[in-house]
Order: sequence, then C-alpha cells, then structure tokens
Amino acid sequence: MNLQWLKFAWLNALRNRRRSAVTITIAALGTAGILLAGGFALYTYEGLAQAAARTTGHLIIGKPDQFNKDEDTPLQHGLDDVAALRARLLADSQVRQVLPRVEFSGLVSNGDKSTVMMAAGIDPDAEFAVKGPFLTLKEGKLLVTGTQGQVMLGEGLARSMKAQPGSSLTLLASTTEGALNALDVTVAGTFSTGIPEVDKRLIYTDVVTAQRLLVTQRVSSLGVFLDRMEATDPAQARLQAALPGLAVQTWLDQAVFYRSVKELYNRIFGALGLIIGVIVVFVVANAMAMAVIERTREIGTLRAVGTLPAQLVRSFSLEGLMLGGMGAVLGALFALAVSVTLLLMPVEMPPPPGRSTGYPLQISIDPALYGSTLLAMLALSMVAAALVARRTVNKPIVDALAHV
Amino acid sequence: MHGTATPLPTLARHAAGRPEAGPSRADARRADVVLRLTEVHKTYRLGTHIVPALRGVDLQLQAGEMLALTGPSGSGKSTILNLAGLIDAPDSGQIVLRERPVHALDAIEATHLRRDAIGFVFQSFNLVPVMTVAENVDYPLFLAGVPTSERRRRVNEMLEAVGLHEHAEHRPDALSGGQRQRVAIARALVKRPALVIADEPTASLDSHTAEQVLDLMREQGHAHGAAFLIATHDARLLDRCDRAIALLDGQIQESP
Repeated sequence: MNLQWLKFAWLNALRNRRRSAVTITIAALGTAGILLAGGFALYTYEGLAQAAARTTGHLIIGKPDQFNKDEDTPLQHGLDDVAALRARLLADSQVRQVLPRVEFSGLVSNGDKSTVMMAAGIDPDAEFAVKGPFLTLKEGKLLVTGTQGQVMLGEGLARSMKAQPGSSLTLLASTTEGALNALDVTVAGTFSTGIPEVDKRLIYTDVVTAQRLLVTQRVSSLGVFLDRMEATDPAQARLQAALPGLAVQTWLDQAVFYRSVKELYNRIFGALGLIIGVIVVFVVANAMAMAVIERTREIGTLRAVGTLPAQLVRSFSLEGLMLGGMGAVLGALFALAVSVTLLLMPVEMPPPPGRSTGYPLQISIDPALYGSTLLAMLALSMVAAALVARRTVNKPIVDALAHV
Repeated sequence: MHGTATPLPTLARHAAGRPEAGPSRADARRADVVLRLTEVHKTYRLGTHIVPALRGVDLQLQAGEMLALTGPSGSGKSTILNLAGLIDAPDSGQIVLRERPVHALDAIEATHLRRDAIGFVFQSFNLVPVMTVAENVDYPLFLAGVPTSERRRRVNEMLEAVGLHEHAEHRPDALSGGQRQRVAIARALVKRPALVIADEPTASLDSHTAEQVLDLMREQGHAHGAAFLIATHDARLLDRCDRAIALLDGQIQESP
C-alpha cells in the first residue's frame, strides 16, 4: 500500500470535519460499548468459574454412578479407602490439595423444632486453607479439623433454630444401611453464602462427624484442587487414565449455574454486539455515502485521468478504515480508562436476585476481546465504505463528470 | 462522413482514404497521426427516445496540432471529446490512437491508456481540492508509477513552465481561476501525453486570463509535442488553433 493513498484518504477524511467527528464518536461509543459489555461478561464468567472451581475443586472424583444415578441410601455410590486414594492424588505435581466431601440431607432439631437440612462434611482446615474466605462468618468461629461434633449453620437456618455459637442441636439422617440415626452437635458459628435460600438449609460439619452420623467410612467425592485453572483439562485426562474405575469430572461439568449464565450472557451481549456493529456499519456507510455523492464529479475526474475503479474503492475503504479505526481506538481507550478506574475505585453493585450480598463492578481488560473488537470495527468500516463507493466508482465517467 | 455534402477537412480527407503523394510520405504522415476517427456513430437514449449525437464523423489529428471543435450545444463536440478521451465508446466506427484501435477497449485497458497517453483539461478545472497544486500535478505521474525523484523533477519543471512554482504548496481554492486552469494544464501535460482533451478550457475565465491560458496551452503543447482536441465556443481560441472543425447535429460542417 502506497503511503500516498493513505495520505489521500486522510485528507479526504478531514474534508467534512463535523461529519467525520460524528462518525468517529459513534464508532468510539459503539466500540466502548462492546468492550465494556464484553469485559463485564468476561469478568462475570471468570468470577463464576473461579467460584465454581472453588466450590467443587477443579476436578471431582467419584464413582461413575455418583454422577449419573440417584442414591437409594446415603453414600450408596460413595468412595471407599479414601486415605489411600487421597495420598495417590496428592503425589501428582499439579495437585495442590484433595478435599473429601460427604454430602447428606436430613433434619436438624433444637428440641422444640425440626427442619430440613442440606449438609456437607468437610475437612475444615484444608477446606478453608484452599478455598480462602468462601463463606462470610457471621457469628462464632470456623470449624477446626480434629474437633468433632461441631457444626456451622447458615444464618437463615440459625435464625430458624434460634441457634447461636455454643447452642446444642441434634442432626437426624438415614445411615448407609437405611436406619435413622441422630447425633448431638454444638454450633461453632454461623455463616452466609450470600444466597438466602441456601443459608436457610445449609450445615457444614467435619467429615468424621458426618461419617459417624451416617455410620460409614465412605465419602461422596473428592475435590481435587490444582495449582491453576488452565491445568484442569490435562490433569483430568491424566487422572482419568490413572483411575480407570472412577469418574473424573471437571468443575465445568458440575457448574450448571456457570453454564447457564454464560449461555445467557453470550446471547445477550452477542445480540448487543451485533446491534452495535450494525449501527457502526450504518453510520460509516452513511458518512461515506454522503462523501461519495459529494465527490461524484471528482471521482469522474480521477477516473478520467487514469485512476482504476479498484484504486478508488481502495481509497474510500481506507477513508472508512480511518474513520472507523479512529473511533475504535478512541473507544478502546475510553473502555480501558473506565476499566482501570473501576479497578482503582471499586463500585459496589446491588445484590442480584436471590442473593443477599452485592458484588464489585469490574470490567475485564482482555487483549483478545480488544484485538478482535478493533479488527471487527476496522473490517466493518472498510467493507461499509467499499460497498458504498463501489457503485459510484463504476459509474460511467461521462455521467460522473456531468454530476452536479 | 455520412449524410452530408460538406467538404471534409484536409486531415479528415486523408483519413477517408484519398490517395497520397507516395508511400514514404504517406507512412510519415501516418506516423504523425495521433488520433483518427473513422465513420464514428454515437447515439444516446433519452427516456424512450434515441438521440443521435454523432452521425458518421471522420477526423484526424496530428502530433502537436491544436484542433478546435466548434458548434452549438448538442452538436456533438463533447461526444467527440468523450470518445477521443476514451471515457465513452462509439456505437460504430473506428477510433485509432497512435495507430492502436481503441474503440472497443475494455474499461481497464481504456483506463491504462488514458493514464499513459491522454491528458484532460476541464471547463471548471476539476482539481482535487484536498491536494496541493504540486500534488494535483503529480497525481498522473503517481498513477503511472513514475519514481518519486523523477516525479518531483517533472512536477517542478511543469510548475515552472506554467508559472506556478511559488504556489506549489497552495491548495486550489487559494488560486484564481486562471491559475487553477494553469494547474489543470500542468496536470494534463506532466505525463507528456500524445493527446490532450480540453472541454471549454476558457469558458470560466475572463478574456485576458483566457488568452494567457490559450498561449500557455499552445506553447506547452508544442514543447511537449502533444495534440490538443478542444471543444469551444470561444472565438479567441479559434485564432490560436491550427485548425477548426464546425459541427452541427452530429456531423462535420466545414473547415474554417
């Protein structure tokens, strides 16, 4: 590409400065809109993915039926000989921690009142060490490994049971043999997951207490925590090969909420991007159409003195590229500035439906998103300009020269 | 020429196949011929009507010659210019430019030929307003792929020749009408074309400026060996042309 064509396109872009400024502004706003919406979606995906992986582990290991079938009795499809399996998994260099999990349901009673509970038996020290502050402690203290017979209650459940740290409760559940068993426990603390409906049902206790209640040595599954998210797929393949009798699922397989949100957001933001893209195309095409009409006679002159139609189409494309490109770059800079500002001065969003806590408004700065958006804007602007110019450029020269 | 008893101009008669003095002289004359139109017909469609614009025109133009086409509006002057300038095609007949038949070229071939061999001077100058004077003059050389240093030299020479060297970096809108037409002449001649098509080149100029522009065209045409085909209503221009052809209703009438 000869620089002279670039210069010519630049000079032409500056002919009607007000019109060019409007075109650039709309292209900039469109680009910023796509980048901010896309960045928000990416941040949401990332947050949900991290939360999902933190909840279940990057990989979840259990018997195949654990993931495919309903249980007739608690832990029917649970894992045996967990200590040996855990030690074997921990030998993998990318495995950071392996957390056992006993999931069960039953009733919790304070003597006067009983209500349904969803419970999880965990290895508290390892769980809190690996997951970090995944719960908001409301009252009391966290569970500690080795201290048995203690529970943490969701704050809604604690309120329902009128329980406080130190209160005594009774857990009732079916054992693995199908018999009913009861166990007295002490409330160590109360927590919030941020989802009120969950907080009304959820109880955490230690694995040993859960196994005592269910009268078993089994666990439901093992959550495998890796050193990084990207290691998930290779580690799954490796561990699945090493454990042929077991099923190794990824966090994504179990992250129904994440998949639903991503699918929804992809459609919403995809449609938004499409609309913005169409608007940008129309704006650039409109600006170029006006420019082409105004310059019809000049086009005839340039054709007469020996300019090829393709050269003129290319020149108009470059002009469109400059308008769209300047808009795209300005829009990207604006989106970048907003994203950085939100990083430095966080804005708290109100709680989403079904949740009790808000979240910080953050916009991911994703190079791939920026790159693809800029390229798309450039390509759309070029194509729009070329399509608009093509007809006039190929008009008979005599007609173009006679244009008034 | 069809449908008229009007005598052919001298050069047109040669084109019509009159015997020449001898083979060597005929060859020499043929070699000097830049443009030859033979039995050229052209019609335009206006709604449902077919309007004849040219009816069997024959003419010939030699290197360095300045030929004026005169006649009332609608007589066919501009049509001849369009056909000779390869920006339109005849319905029938032959057009030969520098011994090459050009009446049936495709658009790309015609563009290349215009770029290399034909210059244009328009009534309203038709300069590119965003380009400087030098850039306007340089544009045909740029299109032709002439190396930058050579372009710069030729543009400077041309601007010197038309007396606009000091205005090289000015935009056309900073120039007077006469100066703009001089830029247009420089743009037409800078690529050293065989043929310059000029459509009413003095119509937008006052009489003094028009005379200056005509003298410049003649002087530069001779200097570069370019033939000029000029459509005009301007009687002053006729005095400065080598020959004039009058057109009426798409036919050549006389040779003043």
